[in-house]
Amino acid sequence: MTNNIEINNISKKYSGFELKNISFNVPKGAIVGLIGENGAGKTTTIKSILNIISYSGEIKIFGKDIKKDEKNIKKEIGTVLDDSFLSDYLNAKSINKIMKEFYENWDEKVYREYLKKFNLPENKIIKEFSSGMKMKLKIATAMSHNPKLLILDEPTSTLDPIIRNEILDIFRNYIEEDENRSILLSTHITTDLEHISDYIVFIDNGKLMLNIEMQELLDNYAIVKCSRQDFEKIDTKDYIRYKKEKYQYEVLVNNKYEFENKYKISTIDKASIEDIMLFYIKGEK
Amino acid sequence: MKEIKGLIKKDLFNLVSYKNSILIIIVFICAFAYFSSNAINYIPIMIVTMIGMIAIATFSYDEQSKSDKYILSMPVNKKEIVVEKYILTILATIIGAILGYIITIIIININNNIRPENFISLDYSKLFITTISGMFGISLVEAIQIPSIYKWGAEKGRIEMFVLIFAIALIIGALGYFLTEAKVDINVEIIKNFFKQYGIITLVIIMTIMYYISYKISYNIYNKKDI
Repeated sequence: MTNNIEINNISKKYSGFELKNISFNVPKGAIVGLIGENGAGKTTTIKSILNIISYSGEIKIFGKDIKKDEKNIKKEIGTVLDDSFLSDYLNAKSINKIMKEFYENWDEKVYREYLKKFNLPENKIIKEFSSGMKMKLKIATAMSHNPKLLILDEPTSTLDPIIRNEILDIFRNYIEEDENRSILLSTHITTDLEHISDYIVFIDNGKLMLNIEMQELLDNYAIVKCSRQDFEKIDTKDYIRYKKEKYQYEVLVNNKYEFENKYKISTIDKASIEDIMLFYIKGEK
Repeated sequence: MKEIKGLIKKDLFNLVSYKNSILIIIVFICAFAYFSSNAINYIPIMIVTMIGMIAIATFSYDEQSKSDKYILSMPVNKKEIVVEKYILTILATIIGAILGYIITIIIININNNIRPENFISLDYSKLFITTISGMFGISLVEAIQIPSIYKWGAEKGRIEMFVLIFAIALIIGALGYFLTEAKVDINVEIIKNFFKQYGIITLVIIMTIMYYISYKISYNIYNKKDI
């Protein structure tokens, strides 16, 4: 088994939204970034993986079907959910006592170390926490039972840049400590992913648009800037999307070197994950 | 079982924020009882109702923080979540009944010592029946309320519960009316005697059946729900 998560053709229909035939893997030792607009289907995908909602298709975690072996699988997973946690009337101390019951591997010492590291008070109720503090508590809680897999829904969205970097370092160290571990991380702050992700999965309007290794993305994707005359010479097979700007055309390509050789256009810029997302959503073909 | 213990702990820690309100209400009830001569008739019912309903408040905490979604991401399933709510509710009702029984005895004894001229004779069997009746009443409300909450949510469920209780009262009333209209001969004496002899055990059996049916309905609703 080389993947910690294997998703095969999952679909889910709500009124007004449909997640269609999503398939991707989260390999061992890898951080997979799940990106997409708000409402694109990221949270629905995460809820399906955690078997919180019903869906069609197959999801295997640690090689086992989540529907059949849910409990044992979930003992090894740590989660951060964007809009859900334990009640705001609890404090960090009571969370420690509650979590001990849910996870056999719950490590009080590790939890307390995280609280200390994140400067979180033990006796203050969560209601009095800032949104950043609340997110840090969620992360500390998710990581204190030595999970093999972290599933994180928007874990950095409420954090300031300094803490965000600190948290990203923690995620990186978590993977480096044990190559059997993995992280699936959904975010709209795509710059975070450029620093830590090994793979990018991009979902738009319930459809899988891109499932690619980060290095391949950085190596091959680019934005070509050219005049209308040059643009008209480009074969539609050779680009993914284009945008018509005020004075020029911008074209997203996924074969940077071949393109350069074929069309001899010199203005080719590196494409960031955000650029790619924008081209897919707003660009034309 | 450890998961259910964890869920109970979660709800109890939540209820700690309620402790001052509970104490104030109990003190208020006790003070009220001190000045009343028929405390024995309503104190146990008031206390069992209050403590019993506290368990229902935990649904609001869960709803506010959307914690069901988070809890289901842990090694806990929907069945355990529903079972825990019923355990908590039944425990609260039993604790409420015991507290109601004991507090009434204490208050009446204090009252008799301080105001011997208004001596209240303590009928333990009557007190017991009042307490069990209080338990039955609150159990009936909870058995209707919990599935309503699972169906419509903690806030809307409260309104829908009253609609349900009204509908049930209407059906029972209509049934009584038609039986009288149809001149069905009901031997009231037999029913009275039956309740005198088997009243307590009958109420306990009915309560158990009520909670069981209520649990089955709640679980079915919750299991089909996408969180």
